[in-house]
Parts: sequence; C-alpha cells; structure tokens
Amino acid sequence: MTLVSQFSKAYQSNRLVRGLVYGIAGAPFGYLFGRWLGSFKDFGEWNPTWPDMMAALLGVFMFGLGLGVLAVCASRKALGRQLDPEGRRPATKAQVFFYAQNGVVLLLAGVMMVAPVAISTAFDPVPTLVGSAAMIGLIALFLLQTAMNISVWMRSDELLRQAMIEVGALCFVILQGAMFLWAAGGKLGLLPVMTLWDAVPVMMGMYLLIAFAVTWRRGLAA
Amino acid sequence: MKNRLKVLRAERDWSQADLAEALQVSRQTINALETGKYDPSLPLAFKIARLFGQPIETIFQDEA
Repeated sequence: MTLVSQFSKAYQSNRLVRGLVYGIAGAPFGYLFGRWLGSFKDFGEWNPTWPDMMAALLGVFMFGLGLGVLAVCASRKALGRQLDPEGRRPATKAQVFFYAQNGVVLLLAGVMMVAPVAISTAFDPVPTLVGSAAMIGLIALFLLQTAMNISVWMRSDELLRQAMIEVGALCFVILQGAMFLWAAGGKLGLLPVMTLWDAVPVMMGMYLLIAFAVTWRRGLAA
Repeated sequence: MKNRLKVLRAERDWSQADLAEALQVSRQTINALETGKYDPSLPLAFKIARLFGQPIETIFQDEA
C-alpha cells in the first residue's frame, strides 16, 4: 500500500466520521424545525399542504447550505482546508469569490423557494398589490441567480461543467418522463391532478438528489 | 481509461493541488482523473502530455 493510498483511505474515513458528526449534530435542528412547522398545524395558523411543507424544508435546507458555504468562504484558510485537505495553502481570492458565489446562488434558491409559501401563509388571501410586489421581487432574484449561475458556469473547470451537464440531462429525462406519466394518470382520472406549484418542490428535491449522486460519482466530494 | 497521472505526479513530488494549479483545473478534477472517475477532454489530455513532456498514449491507456 502506497503512502498516497494510505492517506486517501484515512482521509475518506475522516470524511465519513465528519459526516456522521455533522449528521448527529444537525439532527436536533432538523427535529426542532419539523416541530416548529408542525406547531402551525396545532395552532391553526397554517395548514400546510405537502408541497408547501416540502418547499419550506428544501428552501431552509438550501438557505442553510448557502450560509454554511459563505461561512467557510469567510476564511481563506478554512476554504483552503476544504479544497485541499492534503495541503496547507489558503484558498486564492479567485477561489473564495467562486465558492462564495456558489453560496449566494444556494442562498437565493432557498429564499425563492420559501418566499411564495411564507407570503401566502402571512396573507390569506394574498392581496394583489402584495402578490405583485412579491412576484417582481422573485423575478429580480431569479434573474440575479441566473446571471450568477451563468458566471459560475463560465468560470468552472471541465469536470464541474461535465457534472452540471449530467445533472441537467438526468433531471430532464427523469422528470419529464415522470411528469408525463403523472399527467397522463391525472387525465385518465387515475391520479390526483397536480398544480405547477405541487411539481416545483418535487423537481427541486429530485434535482438535489441527482446533483448529490453525480457529485459523488464524479469524485467532486473528495 | 487508465492513466499514470498519480505515478508521474509522485515522481515529481507534486501534490494534487500543484498539478491542478499547473493545469488550471480544480484539485477535485485531478483527483477524479487519478481515481478513474473522469476521463479528460482532448485539450486537457494534450495539456497534461505537454506538462509531463510525454506522448498522450504513454500517460493514458485505453482499457478496451
């Protein structure tokens, strides 16, 4: 066994231990957040549908992930350790900017996912003025996030671009197939009809799952 | 596709980060290449060959 393979095994087991520790540490927060969501139902303030619940959970997850990425980016040394555990060099300014931009993209995705649920919960029914203002805000955030996504793509290396292409292709094939089958089932009266909002958290959840799988498979998590 | 990237890198006592910097890719890309999780594009393969001063076919071998 070479030194490199010994390091690789030790590093992988370290990652597993760290993942386990983060999982155990994060579980109480997940539990408390779930209880908090559930409490709305008890008090009759919010009777969430499953798409609202799923959108809120995904939105908070992405927002938290974005904050975590930005927190790591706050220190060049910390980001350097994440990018290259073998080395001791701090991340470059370009790397900090690139990963911070990824963090902001995640953060914006979280905000955009939660906002429609939060606003429709706070105002029932949503006044046209509030709805219009929220929609303008969402469009602005969407455009900003799209511009940042394009910028991330332009500055990514070929492995990351390949992973993005694979995620996009898999999402398209799986989701358009699933949506066609669901829509056909709905048309034939065999399945409940879904609204576009019902489909959004499903698509986002599937996207995240596929992104994690591709990231793992391509060794981007190493 | 198999490759001798890890061996060539070790011979020069370079870290994955050193090689990544020289090739202007991420360290994860070097790791993915070395572990066979990703095959490089032709431009990157040429860049690697130029950096090590060897023909592409001595660095990358088709498994088929």
